[in-house]
Amino acid sequence: MVATEYYVALSAIIFAIGAVGVLTRRSAIMIFLSVELMLNAANLALVAFARQWAAAGAAVALSGQAAVFIILAIAAAEVAVGLGILVAIFRYRSSTDVDTLHEVRL
Amino acid sequence: MPLVLPDIDWLTLAPLLVLLSTASLAALYALYNRSSKAVALLALLGLAVAAIFNLQLFVASRAGELRSSFGLRYLADQGALAFNFVILLGAALAILISYDYLKRAELEQPEYYPLMLLSASGAMVMAAAGDLIILLLGLEIMSLAVYVLSAWRQQARESAEAGMKYFLLGAFASAFLIYGIALIYGATGFFSYPQIVAGLLAEGFEQIFLATLGGIMILAGLGFKVALVPFHQWAPDVYTGAPTPVTAFMSVVVKTAAFAALLRIFAFIYPELGVLAVQSLVVLIALTLIVGNFTALVQRGIKRMLAYSAVAHAGYLALAVLAAGNLGMRAAIWYLTAYTLMNAGAFAVLTLLSDRNDHGDDLERFAGLARSRPYLAAAMTVFLLSLAGIPLLAGFVGKILVFSAAIEAGYVSLTVIAIITSVVAMVYYLRPVMYMYFREPEYEPLQTNSRSTHIAIGIAVFGTVLLGIFPGWWYSLLDLGQSLLAGL
Repeated sequence: MVATEYYVALSAIIFAIGAVGVLTRRSAIMIFLSVELMLNAANLALVAFARQWAAAGAAVALSGQAAVFIILAIAAAEVAVGLGILVAIFRYRSSTDVDTLHEVRL
Repeated sequence: MPLVLPDIDWLTLAPLLVLLSTASLAALYALYNRSSKAVALLALLGLAVAAIFNLQLFVASRAGELRSSFGLRYLADQGALAFNFVILLGAALAILISYDYLKRAELEQPEYYPLMLLSASGAMVMAAAGDLIILLLGLEIMSLAVYVLSAWRQQARESAEAGMKYFLLGAFASAFLIYGIALIYGATGFFSYPQIVAGLLAEGFEQIFLATLGGIMILAGLGFKVALVPFHQWAPDVYTGAPTPVTAFMSVVVKTAAFAALLRIFAFIYPELGVLAVQSLVVLIALTLIVGNFTALVQRGIKRMLAYSAVAHAGYLALAVLAAGNLGMRAAIWYLTAYTLMNAGAFAVLTLLSDRNDHGDDLERFAGLARSRPYLAAAMTVFLLSLAGIPLLAGFVGKILVFSAAIEAGYVSLTVIAIITSVVAMVYYLRPVMYMYFREPEYEPLQTNSRSTHIAIGIAVFGTVLLGIFPGWWYSLLDLGQSLLAGL
């Protein structure tokens, strides 16, 4: 059996890749994809921890697995709303490059 | 394994269910009848009914009756119920401000009001959460609706871009929150607060690093929602780009909910985590107070100035979070009540002064307002002085309560920073007042009038003055007693 640490390390790496992606990518779609990567990293960590906690009883392990389903649903809801806003922007500008969002001053 | 039904106390869920069903009903009604007057009235009615249920629960809990649902995962203790009042008040003010504004800006779509109710219901879930997953669900219910609302003005680039920016950064922040939750689960094996604390205090607990890291990530996620520096980058842009009533809603309801959640986890979980978790909040508060106040100083647009002032107020409120526990909780709820009234009021005045595209909120536009629109100028003066913390107005009492709670908790130097920066803040709050009263008008002021906005301004002025002159009654009602989780 692979130790939990490896799964958690993998999930931390995926999370970091996602975070770097959010900070460096230009296209809103790619940023969004990077966020999804971060959420899935959290899911991977949850599943790995749930397996580790299986010894502590089924309820403890199942609560972690149930949380994964809730997070999947949240991610899906975010996609629906986010793509809606994206389409609204695209309709007026025909570009999703966040660097051209200059109307919003810093 | 036997199937265990969750224990559900329907009365604790009643305010929430009223908002949800009103929102669904209003959305369905909007399919067949595009009149937004009916939908707006329905939304206000829903808020009123929810407030009545909430009052009933509040009275019961003051009588010592402790209620919760889902095995202490959805709490109806006095803290949560008091927060619900603030949330309902903020939502009602935002709807009143919106009604004529949307008509004038040609943004009138009846779906606007159900979205606001849904967002408020998410805020109430956050305030009641006794479990990290419930907290997450509340946060998402609240945020998803606000993302849409802030992009409401689709024709204008600022608004759609504000919505996009808020959405992308919001999703980024909630990813941190979710990862933090996963780490806490990894360390303790639980999501609900009492069980997490029990896990942290258990004999032979070794995963303190994992748990502290998780706590810091949760703090980052929630710090984004309340706009603590350095997670505040989105706030000025989104506050400026979103339609003004939505800005008012965001700055009061979203902030209240996130602080409610933060206060509860800080009171229970954070003392048991490593000292690093609390220290990181101290650093965030110091940064927020300094950056928020000094950046507000150099703003010319009033809406943008109010956005930075909202950042600064997040710093003062976070001071109360540090002093979590009964005293800090009371101070925070009091401050948030005052803040909801004065901030929503200031934005309400702003909707009447700027044009239909939310332009023309520069300082120069305020010149001579006392002569051309004396009542509006007087109301704005009350709100700005209260935000600045002038005695006899609500903001002053709020600041005193927060500062004394923070000193009681031993954060003296941080409180000194807070007092110094609030003196600096006087400058940017008093500047528009000076312009209104001591300058010759440069522009012909807009003569926009709106009955519903006037009602909102009236409520806000009345509340700000009343709470400022008689602070005791609301504070004594907030004697929260023991929280449901405290004895566990």
